[in-house]
Amino acid sequence: MEVDNILFGLPIAVKDNIITKGLRTTCASHMLDEFIPIYNATVVEKIRKKNMIIIGKTNMDEFAMGSSSRTSYFGAPKNPWNKKKISGGSSGGSATTIAARDLLFALGSDTGGSIRQPASYTGIVGMKPTYGRVSRFGLVAFASSLDQIGPMTKNVYENALLLNAIVGKDEKDLTSANQMEEDFTRLIGQDIKNMKIAVPNFFMSDIVDEEIRNKVEEIIKMLENSGAVVDYIDVKYLENTVTLYQIIAMGEASSNLARFDGIRYGYSKENPKNIEQLYYKTRAEGFGEEVKRRIMVGSYLLSGENAKTYYNKALSIRDDMRKEFLNVFKDYDLIIGPTTTTTAYNLDDSMDDPSKSFMDDVLVIPANMAGLPGLNLPIGFDYSHMPIGLHIIGNSFEEAKIYHLASFIEKELGLDLNPNLGGEEVE
Amino acid sequence: MKDQLTKEEVLHVANLARIEISDKEIDKYQIELKQLLDDVEKINDVEGYDEDILIACWGENTNLRDDEIGNMLNPKEVIESAPRHSGNYIEVPVVLSDGEGA
Repeated sequence: MEVDNILFGLPIAVKDNIITKGLRTTCASHMLDEFIPIYNATVVEKIRKKNMIIIGKTNMDEFAMGSSSRTSYFGAPKNPWNKKKISGGSSGGSATTIAARDLLFALGSDTGGSIRQPASYTGIVGMKPTYGRVSRFGLVAFASSLDQIGPMTKNVYENALLLNAIVGKDEKDLTSANQMEEDFTRLIGQDIKNMKIAVPNFFMSDIVDEEIRNKVEEIIKMLENSGAVVDYIDVKYLENTVTLYQIIAMGEASSNLARFDGIRYGYSKENPKNIEQLYYKTRAEGFGEEVKRRIMVGSYLLSGENAKTYYNKALSIRDDMRKEFLNVFKDYDLIIGPTTTTTAYNLDDSMDDPSKSFMDDVLVIPANMAGLPGLNLPIGFDYSHMPIGLHIIGNSFEEAKIYHLASFIEKELGLDLNPNLGGEEVE
Repeated sequence: MKDQLTKEEVLHVANLARIEISDKEIDKYQIELKQLLDDVEKINDVEGYDEDILIACWGENTNLRDDEIGNMLNPKEVIESAPRHSGNYIEVPVVLSDGEGA
């Protein structure tokens, strides 16, 4: 037994697209609503080795597709700061259980902001690690070249502790990186003198609510007063990332979700006349609206010559965008900006616009595109006392630097982030 | 530019995805799918990039494991996960037939 295992016996909630042996894993979909996995995800093996206790699985957007957790087959989680508001998504259940102070630790997954955006809406700390840092083995695949599991907690230190526990090379994941394990808490508490920070102009443009921009500007001033150097810069392609994401994520989703055929596991239409009917009816009844829409568009984008016109082109632009970011990190330690363009909106807002769930993530998608680590840190509240989040992006495998800056700001602000004390109680 | 797909286009896309859709759903998808396809069309506005393809962000190394037999799943548990199974077999409906479009 590990003598210094301070995670021993602590409860943790696990997003329901991370498979748990013998424990129902639904992806918040009718397709898997009775699915009992026969093996564990690598991250689950790792937290079990730490003797952490999986206390429950958390609600989410169906197959992690959405930005408000309202596409869940089981209904949407409510934001603890105001129960009429969304929790964000897709890791909305993990975000709300941490925000409500049910427990200290949760795991989420982030394909296009699904850890950081709900963390921002609920006032918690959420980290999407570098692509390849955490094994994806046992994470139900959505868009394989973007998906990454990460920790969701109430503060920075506990976030770094949980990341310590789940990283590492895994031979069961081809894309898992060959990095030495390290202590992500090691820079916490140090000063930030001479730290060089970039703010992309696009992140502070008028797509972001003024209140949120003002809050981020306050933080920038505070950092400058503490000895950091902050510059506004231009980063190419940021205005194109939602388009790239739509192509890559829907394309890969259509391919990944082809496995749900009613034959091997999950929902299966009774008494099909033939195999074609089994496929068509199982998928029509098993998947929800958002998922079907994305699979259909994705299938089209990958069919025949379209793969070249759309998918390959998106991958080429993504490569250039990644190089753009790597260039920024030659001169700067970190990139910051707001995590979201608005604070959490109402649960009963319309879901009729199929582009909306993508646009909600416009500021967080770039990190997925470039494979970079990104973290949400709560930095204050809007006029209706809903949380505002700061997004910190680091260079590949430099999560420790992100925690360094985040912990500094967290300590300077000393915010009261308990919704029972601050939140407007509705209902 | 037309603001919705034709019924035939929707049925074609649904067929690619192996998803059955009702007549009522066709009307809805004519508009919704068109909007998403218009969104992705914006990629043609992007200029000045190299044609190199980034498949994923983990770099040039492939991390293939040694070709050795490790811990495998229990075949009995795998078979029993299937909605329809019998003995050592997973059951599927008719694949080849002389009618019903199979």
